[in-house]
This record gives sequence, C-alpha cells and structure tokens, in this order.
Amino acid sequence: MSQTPAFPLRVRAALLDERLHVALGRATDALRSRRSAAIGSLEGFDEVRDLARKIKMELLADLSSHLQRFEERLIANGVSVHWAETGADANRIVAGIAKSHGARRIVKSKSMATEETHLNQALQREGMEVVETDLGEYIVQLAEDRPSHIILPIIHLTREDVGEVMHRRIGVPRTGDPQTLAAYARAKLREEFLSADMGITGANFGVVETGTICLVTNEGNGRMVTTLPRVHVAVMGIEKLVPTLGDLDVFLKLLARSATGQKITTYTTLIRGPRRRGDECGPEAMHVVLLDNGRSRILSGENAEILGCIRCGACLNACPIYKSIGGHAYGDTYPGPIGAIVTPGLRGLRGWSELPAASTLCGACRDVCPIRLDIPRMLLGLRRDTAREEGAPWSLRLGLKAFAWIAPRPALYRAATRMARAFLRFRARDGWLRRAPGLASGWTRVRDLKAPAAKTFQQMWKERQS
Amino acid sequence: MSARTAVLARLAAAQRTARLPTPPAAKPLVSATRSVAECGERFARELAGLGVDGHVESSPEGVRARVSALVEGKKVLSWDPDQLPYGLGAVLGEAARGSSPRADQAAAEIGVTGCHGAIAETGSLAVLSGPGRSRTVSLLPPVHVAIVTPPDFCFTMGEFFAREARRIGEAACCTFITGPSRTADIELTLTLGVHGPGKVVVVVGP
Repeated sequence: MSQTPAFPLRVRAALLDERLHVALGRATDALRSRRSAAIGSLEGFDEVRDLARKIKMELLADLSSHLQRFEERLIANGVSVHWAETGADANRIVAGIAKSHGARRIVKSKSMATEETHLNQALQREGMEVVETDLGEYIVQLAEDRPSHIILPIIHLTREDVGEVMHRRIGVPRTGDPQTLAAYARAKLREEFLSADMGITGANFGVVETGTICLVTNEGNGRMVTTLPRVHVAVMGIEKLVPTLGDLDVFLKLLARSATGQKITTYTTLIRGPRRRGDECGPEAMHVVLLDNGRSRILSGENAEILGCIRCGACLNACPIYKSIGGHAYGDTYPGPIGAIVTPGLRGLRGWSELPAASTLCGACRDVCPIRLDIPRMLLGLRRDTAREEGAPWSLRLGLKAFAWIAPRPALYRAATRMARAFLRFRARDGWLRRAPGLASGWTRVRDLKAPAAKTFQQMWKERQS
Repeated sequence: MSARTAVLARLAAAQRTARLPTPPAAKPLVSATRSVAECGERFARELAGLGVDGHVESSPEGVRARVSALVEGKKVLSWDPDQLPYGLGAVLGEAARGSSPRADQAAAEIGVTGCHGAIAETGSLAVLSGPGRSRTVSLLPPVHVAIVTPPDFCFTMGEFFAREARRIGEAACCTFITGPSRTADIELTLTLGVHGPGKVVVVVGP
C-alpha cells in the first residue's frame, strides 16, 4: 500500500495542527489517569500481567497446533472455517460468503482486522451495503475519514466536527451535543441492525478449548451484529488465541483496565456457533475467517512477541510521539508504538522504515503494556535492520565516526564541547536556539533547541569537590 | 495447495525460527472462596458504581411486586415464564417473547430476564442463550430488568466458567452485562444507551 503524502510531510501537518494537539492531549491524559486508577482496583496487577505474558508466549511457540485444535472445535460447534493467506483473500472469502447467503445489507462491529484488509471498500465494490455500527467508526465512515486510535477512532475530531459530519451526511440538525448526536446515531443504526442480512465482527479472543469467539464492546453493537442478522462472519487474526476460558479470564482482567480504565467492558460476548435448536434468535449460519496476512512472517523472526498484543491502545496513550502527531501520521491501520512494529511486520520494512524511528525509546509503552511486550527492543531491532538495508545517510555516518574518534580522547572531547557550547550560547536568544547551524539544523526545523548550560556537569563536579 | 495447508506450513516453519522471550514464571489465578453474603455486598457496591439500580427483596412476593411496579404501563419483552424465577410470569401480563414478531420485540419499552451468574468482583450479569431465553430481551429495549437469585453469585468470572462449564457449553451465546450500554467516542464524553439498554435494574431475590 502506498503512503501519500510521505511520512515527514504527514508529521509536519500533524505538528502544525493546533486543534489536534488539544484533542490528543486531553484524551490521552484522561485515558492514562483512568488506567492508573483502574489497575489499582486489581490486586496483584503485575502478577496477572506476568501470567498473561506466559500464556501468550507459550501459545505462540506452538501456534499451529493451537490453531488446528481451535478449528476442530469451531467445526464441532457448527461453524464454517475459512483460511486467508492475505487481506485480499480474506475480502474475497467474505464477499463469497455474503453472496452464497444472498446477503446485501451488512452491519459491522468494530474490527481492526477488517480495517487492515480494507474489507468495506471490497464489499462495496461488489455492490453490497456495509454500515459500521460502533459510534466512532460510524462517524469515520460518514466522514470518509480513517480511525486514528485503536479504541477511540475519532480521537482527532471535536464534537463540533462530529455534528457537522452528521448534519451533512444524514441530515441531523446542527449540534455539538454528544448525547443528542449519539441518540440520532442510535435511531439510525437501529434500523440498520433490524434490516441487515449479515453481521461482520472481528474477534478480541478465540478460545481454543471451546471454539469460542470473544467480543468486547461498550455500546452493545457487537451483540446486535451477532444476534439479529441471519449470518455472522468473524474475521480473526491467527494470533488472537487463548487456550482456555480460565485463561480468557486473565486477559479480560487486563484488557479493559488498560484500554479505557474500566474493570471490564459493558458487554463481553462469548459466541460458540450459530443458534442452537429451539433458539429464537441468533444467526442461522456462522463463519470464521482465520487471517494470516503477514503474521506468520512476524512469528518467524525476532519480533514474534508483538503477536501477543491484545490491542488495548495503552501504549498509544503513553507515547509522547503519538501524543504529538496522532494516529493518521503513522499512515496505516495500527498507529503508535505498536503500529511502528506491526505495520513494518505486516507490510514489510520497505516504505515503513520511518515508523520505528518515530520513537524516543523512553520505554513508557513497555511500562504500560499489559503483556509487558518489549516494544523499545523491537523498535531498536527494526532501526538496525533499516540501517542494514537502506544504509545510514553520509552525514550520520560521518558524524558518528567523528564522535567515535573524539569521545575516547578526554582532552579533545572537552575542548570540542567547550567550543560547541560557546558557539551555541552565543547564537541563543533567551536560552533557546530557533535555528541551529550545520548538521544540527534538522533538529530545529520543527522545534527549538535549548541552549547549553553555562557550566558542564564535570565543571560543577570539580568545583564541588574543591 | 489450499490456504489452510499454506498457512499451517508457514507457521510450522516460523515456529522453528521464532525468537520468543522466555515466558516469565507465573502462578495461576487463585481467589479465596467468598460467602454469598460477601459476594452480595460487593456486587451491590459495584452496581452502584456502574449506575445500576439495585434492589434486594426478601420474599418472592416482594420480587413480584417490585417487577410489577417497574413494568407498570410499559410494553414488556421478557424471557418465557418457565425461565423466570419467583413465578414472575404471573405479573408480566401480555409481554412479548423471543418468539414474537421482531417488530413487537423492537417496540418493547422494558426487557425482563433472569440470569445464570452474578459476578461480584465486577457487578456483571452472566446470561446464557437458549430456548425461551432470547438474547434480544436484554438488548433491544431501552431498560433491562434482571432478576438474580442467591445461587447465581460467584466472585470472579473464572469461578463462573468453572462452575457453569456444562451449561455454557450448551449455549450458543454467553454474555456478561456490566451496567448500561455506554460510549465515550465523542470527546470522551460519557453517553449511555447508545445501542443496548441505557438503564439496567437488578432485583436480587431471597
């Protein structure tokens, strides 16, 4: 997939968007503090994280056997199982399922996997009508926009933006009141739920032992989509398995707390096949599409642990870079620290090598990750791969060589830093450099550089000792 | 080669070269058994935090009177009478059921269900689908009334999974309902009742 415009331009546009900063700042701060409060409500939170990490890493080590067992259980539950090597394959399979059931009206609940495969566009090209039913995703669809956060798709829009979109697209009287807007969406989408032929969902978890698909939602759209239409299709990444229902309990304890700061989402739905004999509702047919689309390639390498990600979004909220540039700048389905690893993993490093560089490596993502994924380690590895494949620019290579030559020679190092400091202090105004010269000019293109302190640490130390 | 064979072959090869971290030592979850009274107390506290109206009734008559007052003058959608505890069918009158036309179910103003588990730790109601227990009842109406009996209580979801493994296996759908339907998608402003019920009422019987 091509990215237009290029990454540096997307970043610059985001950095200049004052409103985006306000929106991102408010939302990520609120989610961070809610998460902190929520983890306090679970005794032994860190032990539960260890347990979740253990379960996932052991499962990934033998993913193929677990998948086969999961498939057996699904079939025993009356589910039709399909395998998709690529996103395009998955889209073709889902379109084929819709056709075989004569389904034209489709409702969807939020799913990252189908976002990744661009399923909506594929189905629309087949002449089918697809409606997103998660409030945020519905507005994204109306606005012909893209989601910019894993759990808050319209984190980048203000209430007034949402009011304008709903006014323009579905004739809602102009308002910026979230309650009113949600009420209109409820009424509109209720008609869609009741008239749809087919429902499409992702899967938050697949339970191997029981062949269960687990969906979590707060709005209830996931329940609507899997209860009212006569066909249900779940598109699931092959890494989303947990061995048993008992293990699922471990992950559910972590997911909502890390994502929204709830103890658990409002609706946790475990689906074990189509409606049973005597049931008055539920789909007559259920299909599960198991999606690879690059996941087996990720598993083959040193970033295999990223497949343990449960898509809570905590690393986005913790990341100073995400907070500055927002989700769209990352250019693909998965933004933030997790996206900087998953996107090159799924799509290939070529064309996406700037993402791993968009990090300060501060480690805040690893600190909040419920599975304790070592995100900074993987980002560094991808940077190394990039340098190997693309080579570093001459200026960087020269600079590093010069540094490596000067650094082990203390007298020279002190002289060089003394000169550099004097020069930078001379150029600074009010303690800041707005435009640095030479090799440092890249730094000041998008930010100011703090002028060096009057004395170095070594000088202060020497004075203190004497 | 089928897609299935191709994906499984790729995974088998990938597992041989995967550089996965050593899993940390970790103990399985254990929770001390809690009494029904303890569970009931915690459950009530969680419900209050979720904005759910909780009522405790000490007799079957009390439960029937409470539910009767709640559904008074409203179009009701309910589970079949033989699926409801405390002889509640008697006070629900001409309620629509899961077998009623979809339009009648969608027009209901209040839904009445029992439940299969009441998870104290989170204030969640566990509901299993089955004949006479349509999923629509706890989903379509703007108000959901759920009746809890004391044996439904357990402290964690894990305990519920262990206790009800057989019944969970018989149901196509097991749903945990924790408070009213909510969204915070627009500027993180809490809005209730976006798709599911905006109001949940729980009546705990004797």
